[in-house]
Amino acid sequence: MTSFTINGRAVTTDVEDDTPLLWVIRDHIGLTGTKFGCGIGMCGACTVHVGGRATRSCITPLASVEGAAITTIEGLDPAANHPLQQAWRALQVPQCGYCQSGQIMQAAAMLQDFPAPSDDEIDAVMTGSLCRCMTYVRIRAAIKQAAAEMGTKA
Amino acid sequence: MSRLITRAEATAPFSRRGFLVASGAAGVAFGFSRVLAAIDPAVPGSVPASATGPQFEPTIWFGIDAAGIVTVNIIRAEMGQHVGTALARILADELEADWDKVRIVHVDSDPKWGLMVTGGSWSVWQTFPVFSQAGAAGRIALIEAGAKLMGANPANCTAKGGAVHAGGRSMSYGDIAKSGTVARQFTPDELKALPIKPVKERRLIGRETHGLDIDAKTNGTAVYGIDAKLPGMVYARPKLPPTRNGSKVVSVDDAAAKKVKGYLRYLVLDDPSDTVPGWVMVIATTYYAALKATDLLDVTWTPGPGADMSEQTLQDHARALVAKADGGILLDIADDDSTPNFTAAAASTIEQIYTTATVLHFQLEPLNALAFEKDGVFEIHTGNQWQSLILPTLAKALGVAETKVVLRSYLLGGGFGRRLNGDYTIPAALATKALGRPVKMIMTREDDARFDSVRSPSVQRLRMQFDGSGQIQAMEHHACAGWPTQVIAGPTLLAKTKKGGQYDPFAISGADHWYDVGHQQVRAVANDLANATFRPGWLRSVGPGWTNWALESFIDEAAHHTKIDPVAFRLKLLTGKGRNAGSAPNAVGGALRQAEVVRRVAEKAGWGAKRPADTGLGVATSFGQERDMPTWVACAAQIHVDRATGIVRVEKLTLVVDAGTIVDPDGALAQVQGGALWGLSMALHESTEFAAGQVKDTNLNTYTPLRIADVPQLDISFVESENVPVGLGEPATTVVGPAIGNAIYAATGIRLRHIPITPAAVLAALKAR
Amino acid sequence: MLKRLLLGLIGVIVVGLVAFCVFAWRPAIAEIAPPAPGSFAPALVAQGEVLASAGYCSACHTAKHGKPFAGGYPMATQFGTIYSTNITPDPATGIGKWSEPAFRRAMHEGVSRNGAHLLPAFPYDHFTKLTDGDVAALYAYFMTRAPVRQEASDNTVPFPLNIRLLQAGWKLLFFTTGRFQPQPTQSAEWNRGAYLAEGISHCGACHTPRGVLGAEIRDRAYAGAPIDGWIAPPLDKTNPSPVPWTHAELVAYLGTGISRYHGTAAGPMGAVPRGLSHLPAADVAAIATYFASRNGSASQGAQGDAAIVKALVADKIGSGLTYDPAARLYAGACASCHYNGRQLNPLRPDLALNSAVNLDDPTNLIRVILYGVSAQDGAPGVVMPGFAHGFTNADVARISAYLRATRTTKPAWADLETKVATIRAQGQGQ
Ligand code: FES
Ligand code: FES
Repeated sequence: MTSFTINGRAVTTDVEDDTPLLWVIRDHIGLTGTKFGCGIGMCGACTVHVGGRATRSCITPLASVEGAAITTIEGLDPAANHPLQQAWRALQVPQCGYCQSGQIMQAAAMLQDFPAPSDDEIDAVMTGSLCRCMTYVRIRAAIKQAAAEMGTKA
Repeated sequence: MSRLITRAEATAPFSRRGFLVASGAAGVAFGFSRVLAAIDPAVPGSVPASATGPQFEPTIWFGIDAAGIVTVNIIRAEMGQHVGTALARILADELEADWDKVRIVHVDSDPKWGLMVTGGSWSVWQTFPVFSQAGAAGRIALIEAGAKLMGANPANCTAKGGAVHAGGRSMSYGDIAKSGTVARQFTPDELKALPIKPVKERRLIGRETHGLDIDAKTNGTAVYGIDAKLPGMVYARPKLPPTRNGSKVVSVDDAAAKKVKGYLRYLVLDDPSDTVPGWVMVIATTYYAALKATDLLDVTWTPGPGADMSEQTLQDHARALVAKADGGILLDIADDDSTPNFTAAAASTIEQIYTTATVLHFQLEPLNALAFEKDGVFEIHTGNQWQSLILPTLAKALGVAETKVVLRSYLLGGGFGRRLNGDYTIPAALATKALGRPVKMIMTREDDARFDSVRSPSVQRLRMQFDGSGQIQAMEHHACAGWPTQVIAGPTLLAKTKKGGQYDPFAISGADHWYDVGHQQVRAVANDLANATFRPGWLRSVGPGWTNWALESFIDEAAHHTKIDPVAFRLKLLTGKGRNAGSAPNAVGGALRQAEVVRRVAEKAGWGAKRPADTGLGVATSFGQERDMPTWVACAAQIHVDRATGIVRVEKLTLVVDAGTIVDPDGALAQVQGGALWGLSMALHESTEFAAGQVKDTNLNTYTPLRIADVPQLDISFVESENVPVGLGEPATTVVGPAIGNAIYAATGIRLRHIPITPAAVLAALKAR
Repeated sequence: MLKRLLLGLIGVIVVGLVAFCVFAWRPAIAEIAPPAPGSFAPALVAQGEVLASAGYCSACHTAKHGKPFAGGYPMATQFGTIYSTNITPDPATGIGKWSEPAFRRAMHEGVSRNGAHLLPAFPYDHFTKLTDGDVAALYAYFMTRAPVRQEASDNTVPFPLNIRLLQAGWKLLFFTTGRFQPQPTQSAEWNRGAYLAEGISHCGACHTPRGVLGAEIRDRAYAGAPIDGWIAPPLDKTNPSPVPWTHAELVAYLGTGISRYHGTAAGPMGAVPRGLSHLPAADVAAIATYFASRNGSASQGAQGDAAIVKALVADKIGSGLTYDPAARLYAGACASCHYNGRQLNPLRPDLALNSAVNLDDPTNLIRVILYGVSAQDGAPGVVMPGFAHGFTNADVARISAYLRATRTTKPAWADLETKVATIRAQGQGQ
């Protein structure tokens, strides 16, 4: 039995302890916005927030999140209007879109640590998130646009 | 090479049927309810809203409901090109629809749609005339019906903004559809004669828009193949045999697998289509259980051919083949030049070998398929690029008629050509047949990579002969690689020469270039070892991805050989004469348009300006994918070489593209951005090699595609044009590698003839100088 | 003559054995009827609760997914697997029939109610320092827990080590009973910290090296030691962290599980901040005072600032364009969480400063890469994933070697890949 909250909802599951959180989220809880890309923590498609930190769910065993608070792309903002999501739409970042949940979740966590990220900081933090469609130019621009937007609001 | 799939063929189903004009026929045409059959990538969960009231469906390509919602049927796969948006805008523009009321649905594989394939950068080019006519037909039918309903003369009526206007009065398309009275039939000849709007009256084509699929891709509601689910389904993962072809299962022991909670059983697949020989499926109640049990399943096989294949052997074999004077297929090159081939009298000759490494698709969504049987019909839910190719194979594997198999489209988490090969649908289909319940198969990333239809390694030999004044007299290009079309699509789809030779057009395209080089010979050679060892794939830009690496590096070498500036050299050869004059409709202007993109890119990138030490600018150009639908593209790469580490840093890529009419400008830009960075990734960052019959790198711990920190500055522009819209998904990929290679030469004087270019190779070349 | 000598020798042995038996033999203490929970003063119970927490009693006496304090938690030792016992007040299977003197004897002397010697996996060599008052509080706490009926699991300690009498011999050699003696030269705070660290929190049990027979080597107190497949780092002046463990850092780490400069509490250390978090802040500060005085950090101030500057520079290595396969592996797998760049963020543990990268032994780093850190350990609610399933031994070795080379000036670790393989074979543990 493992208990945690996901997007504010309390969940208890009796899935095997070593099951990667990714499959619990996708197949048992049914939130499919979080994606499976590499399964080894090297692409970022499965990124969710655990305790507010960007976490690769494909290599996080279920037992590790006992008591934790998890947020997925579906719960990032109640109206899907996080400044990053707005910027992503305005700049038409997604191509196939498959990596983008992870990109946005990674970027959202980054903006907490680096509210006005430089190119170097974006490179260092976002390099773990692979975009095979190579939407990188727009990802960079959208992060900056969202950061600026959040900065003026703060 | 579009002789494989021509625009005429693409229109075939359309003209054959003429226009089915029916009112209130919602859903009937589908055989299934529309909601089940199609996906709308714009709505959460992808389930299209049902139509309001009677539907007016003047063609199979779209319908208008009583609320005025125009639903456009898209037969192309959505894999990041926002293809539905671009195609719908072509139709809506001609229909004079209100864009805010336009929806798209990606349809199932009903035969009425004709050939279903998404690749080759063909979608817009093929669909443009079909959808223009469909839109025009709708517009005319609506004007006629609207005029009647308003009691006006059709000649005095116009259509605009989703309504028919007569003097001061107007009636919306929705109201016309609601009346249920529209009826109009067009013969194929009438269709062809339909008035298409003049360019200046276009309201949607070429204007900025918002991709209909974008929003759902930012909030987790977009539905991909891997997200498909059904009550009662079980999960499956294949246990892959030692070789892609010809493996046979000897024995299976699942004692260890049985200890995994949720493991149900294994299945040794019996595949009449021979697509997945030796595959064993592991079935479990959860995917993680299937994953673990597969690792624990103990299977013994007798391997098929290529079990001991190495990259070196593949390359050596190809080298031997291109070195031989005979073998392979000589392409028909319209040669109006009497210059003799490679005479002894030549003043000088240059010859070089160029090679490219094995590359994985690594589309981010690993291959998967959900299959089940309902009322005797097998449904395959997945993302796929070439439904028409895999349907007959599925039917054969399942032992049923083609009409008993349906593929349902989902969003693709990347295609890049991998999903042209639908092999991954077969094991799911066979498993559901054996088990009698829905089966969802997901391949792990490692499974996906191991049996990827990789871009074959290639070896090319190029030769050029000059006369005393430095004029080119003759040129040869011999290219050897695995042939995807031969292996996956079968011989019927190969191109034919006048002499009856058959070759894979996709594995040689690009070598039949638009330069005037006197006597020209192009020879396509299949690497039979590659064909036997793996299933060579079509990978973003396919042949032109490697032929242009060789061609454009070689042209640069020829320029330096004759001591002419590489840009000037190219312009000199792009005369637009003879066979390179181009023709209507697709290649109007011919090589002169290629010369123009070269000229522009040189100017934008500052060609000829003085640059710091070890920094260089290199240029390359191509016609994209095929002579029959050229997309003119040129790239200038500015790079810096670190002599201490051998690291090549690409500072900036400048690209100029002439793709004719641009339908969706921002979408077009996105395609060129992605394509160019793919070219960069394959030039400097990613590759694998065969060892013991399999690719060595199966995941991102050792496979290293381009990441955000590797991205240079990009300057991309398009030539404004009213010409036929051609392809955009791939052309940019073809020019980046050679532009970088040429820039390295400009910076340091070293010439690298293999991609990817590694720091080690740069260091070795620097040392050898 | 020879015969007489032999007889004499036998005599000596017999006398010795008899004497030993007299020393070793302990009587049973009479069973009692379980005291009513209401018979304990609530304040005493509350005091006991804090102490039980600071002694991490539940960490060892609760099995995974088990009931609190019901025992059954396996401890892998070099002498076999030992299962913890049931210390709930269940009369049949727990300590319900134990009187307070029986409980006190167990704590102070390592002897069970029935007279059997306890194995030193139970750290009575530390608990012997506790005051009678604190022991009484613990007794009150345990006797007011919900009784759980759960039989003890059988230990796998092999013969002859499993002979309980022999434990007396071990005690004879290594154990002195006795309450904590304050050091008059030190402050009251220091002495409070020492009392807690040496006694209930038994820090030396992990951080002090043990001899062949498993006893702590007194004159190497806190020199660092292997424990449960991990390395408990030195807490004395030999600690290799580039930034000194100052009083403030110790307070932060012990109180929250995370230090700005040293990383998070993982592995067996994970239970420590969780336990100490129930102590009054002054007590945590006292423990910090005690260790700050032992590690000499007060005299190392400037060294830390220089190390931080260096770390921030080192952070940039491998981010940005790189072809080095190890750097790319690091950039793809680690940097998104560990990169700092401009300033240190405690929630982005900096790997140049982290203990695991700076220890002489790579074990902790390898373990954390393979198995991660759960939400329960380290920074509460935050997880580090584990790369065991995705990375090969070569990958883990590559990242470890890369970090050691680029983030420290210390000598390279030897045989990394073999080490990774060994640790992988050991498994995650618990
Ligand atoms: S799927 Fe988790 S990082 Fe790639
Ligand atoms: S948008 Fe396709 S992988 Fe990023």
